[in-house]
Amino acid sequence: MTPFLQSMFVVARRDFLAIVATPTFLLFLLAPLFMVGMGLAGGMGASQLADSARGAGRIVVVADPADIAALRAADARLREGFAGSNAPPSLAFRIAGDATIDPVAITSEKGSDTYAVMSGPLENPRIVERNADGKSGRYLALLAGQVLRDRAAGEVAPVKPRFESIQRGGASIAVQQSLGFGAVFVIFLLTLLLAGQTVSSLAEEKGNKVIEILAAAVPLESVFLGKLLGFLGVAVLFIAFWIAMAFGGGVIAALLADPASLAAAGGTSEVATALASTPATGWAFFLGIGFIYFILSFLLLGAVFLGVGAQAATVREIQMLSLPITIFQVGMFSLSAAAASAPGSGLARFAQIFPFSSPLAMAARAATDDSKAVHLLALGWQAIWVALVIFLSVRLFRAGVLSSGSGWKFWRRTATSAAATAATAAEPH
Amino acid sequence: MNDFSVEANGLTKYFGDYKAVDHVSLAVPAGSIYGVLGPNGAGKTTSLRMTLGIIDPDEGSSRVFGARPQSVRHRIGYLPEERGLYPGMKAREAIAFMGALRGLEWAEGRRRAASFMTELGLERVIDEKIRKMSKGMAQMIQLIGSIVHAPDLIVLDEPFSGLDPVNQERLEMLVRRERDRGATILFSTHVMAHAERLCDRIAIIARSQRRFEGTVDEARALLPMQVRYTPREQQDPATVAANLPAGAELRGDGWHFAIEDRDVEPLLARITASGLGVTGLSISRPALHDAFVHIVRQVDAGFDADAAEDAAQEASA
Repeated sequence: MTPFLQSMFVVARRDFLAIVATPTFLLFLLAPLFMVGMGLAGGMGASQLADSARGAGRIVVVADPADIAALRAADARLREGFAGSNAPPSLAFRIAGDATIDPVAITSEKGSDTYAVMSGPLENPRIVERNADGKSGRYLALLAGQVLRDRAAGEVAPVKPRFESIQRGGASIAVQQSLGFGAVFVIFLLTLLLAGQTVSSLAEEKGNKVIEILAAAVPLESVFLGKLLGFLGVAVLFIAFWIAMAFGGGVIAALLADPASLAAAGGTSEVATALASTPATGWAFFLGIGFIYFILSFLLLGAVFLGVGAQAATVREIQMLSLPITIFQVGMFSLSAAAASAPGSGLARFAQIFPFSSPLAMAARAATDDSKAVHLLALGWQAIWVALVIFLSVRLFRAGVLSSGSGWKFWRRTATSAAATAATAAEPH
Repeated sequence: MNDFSVEANGLTKYFGDYKAVDHVSLAVPAGSIYGVLGPNGAGKTTSLRMTLGIIDPDEGSSRVFGARPQSVRHRIGYLPEERGLYPGMKAREAIAFMGALRGLEWAEGRRRAASFMTELGLERVIDEKIRKMSKGMAQMIQLIGSIVHAPDLIVLDEPFSGLDPVNQERLEMLVRRERDRGATILFSTHVMAHAERLCDRIAIIARSQRRFEGTVDEARALLPMQVRYTPREQQDPATVAANLPAGAELRGDGWHFAIEDRDVEPLLARITASGLGVTGLSISRPALHDAFVHIVRQVDAGFDADAAEDAAQEASA
């Protein structure tokens, strides 16, 4: 192993252990649990709120007593065609003939939200609705029509449908796009979470003055790459932990679950559908290339964070400098997410070529486009940019961390290097 | 084989408009202990940093073992002026880490760390975290870390500052032992006693420039011999003064004056011939401290004169 690589691994080892061998790393490792927990809590709250809002709402028909049974039967049949949140609000009846019943007054009654009230003859009903062109009013019109159609048709034998499930319907474009978006989101989230940590590590070294020892002992490039490698190790450990947890959780769930009741509940159907709808390049390639794109994205962003963060002297300055990079990265996420939802578009091509969005957008492309050779091209292109960003960041790092005073200027350095080279060449040997 | 471990030529560094180091050259003989002396802010640390290639000079160049300093990093041990260790690391690990940076195996680094620490009486803190140590102890750990890989060149920037007398003594012992092992030692200090005891050669830097280079004796020889003379009692001061060199001054414990080496014997002859007698006589070389102060004051006086001249020119203009 060359001294450069050796020193790089020494720095990486130190950084890796400094993070992993601390109790706080456990909190970091379990951070997704908190995130998911908070998300679930928020989601459940919102869902409960939506359910209770839905339960409190109603539609009302002011009908002759003779029509109520027919309306109720038609309502039951029509509701079979709606699922979940698309179902219309519950139907309530008021007996017509009472002169005091005013449909407008009904919409203002307390205790529940009344979305629409239908009154008058079914052939020509009056529908008062809370929102113009609302779904509830349309539904009541549909209900009236259904009752009239039932009466005109007379007795009809009940339909006896035979349902057949397609076990594997091939790749769904929508699911593939969702997979692409998922890849963009996961890579973005992990990169942002972990690359930002490199800056605090650098702040620590600036604070405790270790940086000068490092700079004297090894090339700054190896310090820089070592830091990135150390944090990449942390990232890989983080991912491996959660893959293992997910796998373990899946196995335990499969062992504990009763297959018969699960099948009856249809609980696996959605997962089965998602798995059946493979990414265009296949699961193995998609996951593999996604991981490589994550590494490149991490190196790109981590190098930028390190280079810019090296200019900061205090934690406050680090936070201020990190903010524009984070905003930029959120912009790259938005670009890549838009590209994932419009594969093959000009926007998608731009996102795939632009260096900082390329890893995200290309990961999304692996979900929707089956060509694999293009990924080699993309990896090469991104590697060039990683090298370029690292080169520039090392210069910034050198100027910032060592505070060498003169500051780094490209033209000045070039001139100095040229002069030094000339002087060295002129030296007697 | 190169006779010099370090050859720095015309090192110059600007910090903004301020010229921190002005064409400083150093030539450190292989296997010697070389001191870079100077008052605070003279440019010692910046000179050492440029010598080691940690920062780039604006002018000049540096060679270590005949090569670019960056290419022989593994043969160098460096203790920076601003001490730095990872507070969460244990002492042994910190030393092994610094050795590993220079290519030493971790296991060997740990073994040597324990050996050094035991030798220096620090065995009780081998597995103690740095953050729990005193500043002096941490400094000793860092010093061990800078020599654990048995470097051929050891560069110590103000190594004695912050150490108690016992640890200063230990450090001096360590420096001598490393020199005896064959290493070249280059260190900076503004405490002359250490330089006087340790250094084979010194360079004095003041106001960004090198003002002296040579051995300690050569530095001391810059000043004349210091004489304290007490004649027999009841001597007439005017008579005594007439027989002593110009500038002789009578203080409480006798006459004080300075003479050149060559004037020692004629002086003794004159005192004997004059019949003034001798109750006390000491002739001594000035200390390095005196030579250092003399050089620095000369430089400061030159600067003050230049400044006064500039002010006068400005006023007349």
